[in-house]
Amino acid sequence: MDCSDCLERLYSYLDRELRPAEVTAVRAHLDECGGCEENFVIEERFLARVRDCHTEDKAPADLRMRIVTRLRMEHDAPR
Amino acid sequence: MATDPFETEALSYLDALYRTGLRMTRSEAEAEDLVQETFIRAFRFREQFTPGTNLKAWLFRILTNTFINQYRRKAARPETTELDDVEESILYRHMRDVSPGSASPDPEAELFDNTLSSEVKDALEALPEKFRTTLLLDVEGFSYKEIAEMLDIPIGTVMSRLHRGRKFLQKRLYDLARDRGIVAARAMPRPAE
Repeated sequence: MDCSDCLERLYSYLDRELRPAEVTAVRAHLDECGGCEENFVIEERFLARVRDCHTEDKAPADLRMRIVTRLRMEHDAPR
Repeated sequence: MATDPFETEALSYLDALYRTGLRMTRSEAEAEDLVQETFIRAFRFREQFTPGTNLKAWLFRILTNTFINQYRRKAARPETTELDDVEESILYRHMRDVSPGSASPDPEAELFDNTLSSEVKDALEALPEKFRTTLLLDVEGFSYKEIAEMLDIPIGTVMSRLHRGRKFLQKRLYDLARDRGIVAARAMPRPAE
């Protein structure tokens, strides 16, 4: 695997979408190529940061209650 | 009142559905309405859900479809749907310019750690709708195949939207970091004191 094959698989690798044989080939290339590994590190940190920022938000406390109340009303209403 | 396992599990995804709705609609009030509508539909059509299959994916599909249908109807003027291509090699090269004097062994990777959470969220919300939806489903942990099924698009389209959407986010966050001085502006010497 050369650098362009490796970088082409960067996101699929980080997203855990590669087949096991491809994962092995990417890892082997990363071990021997310092240049590609740096890009993988940058991308991995980027994806983690986006995930952390997005997932820190929680639903407002009263939304759950309002939904449950609404579902009960729907359920009890004559069809 | 007896607990309903379907309801209990569905409500366990409330936070995930809400924050995704929030990024999709860019409005707290609209996100609450969207999530409420999602739950009402899910319960109305619960017979269509096959127990033992992925309830989270099923709920997200309802959320996404509800959003897309309402959103496209509401949008009087369609927003920009395409993204300019970001030249990747230039972006990586720029990122290596991050704090060149830093003692950190990995300064370029820290660029994103130093961005504000609000900047990351704003950047996500600035993505055109189809890229935004695809990225959000990815961030929520769905596979390429699951996202493709939810949005009725080929897996290759999921991959290209993720790729271009991520490059757009990176460029935006890089530009912000540069404006705030996190990225050293070598071309601009400091004024003499």
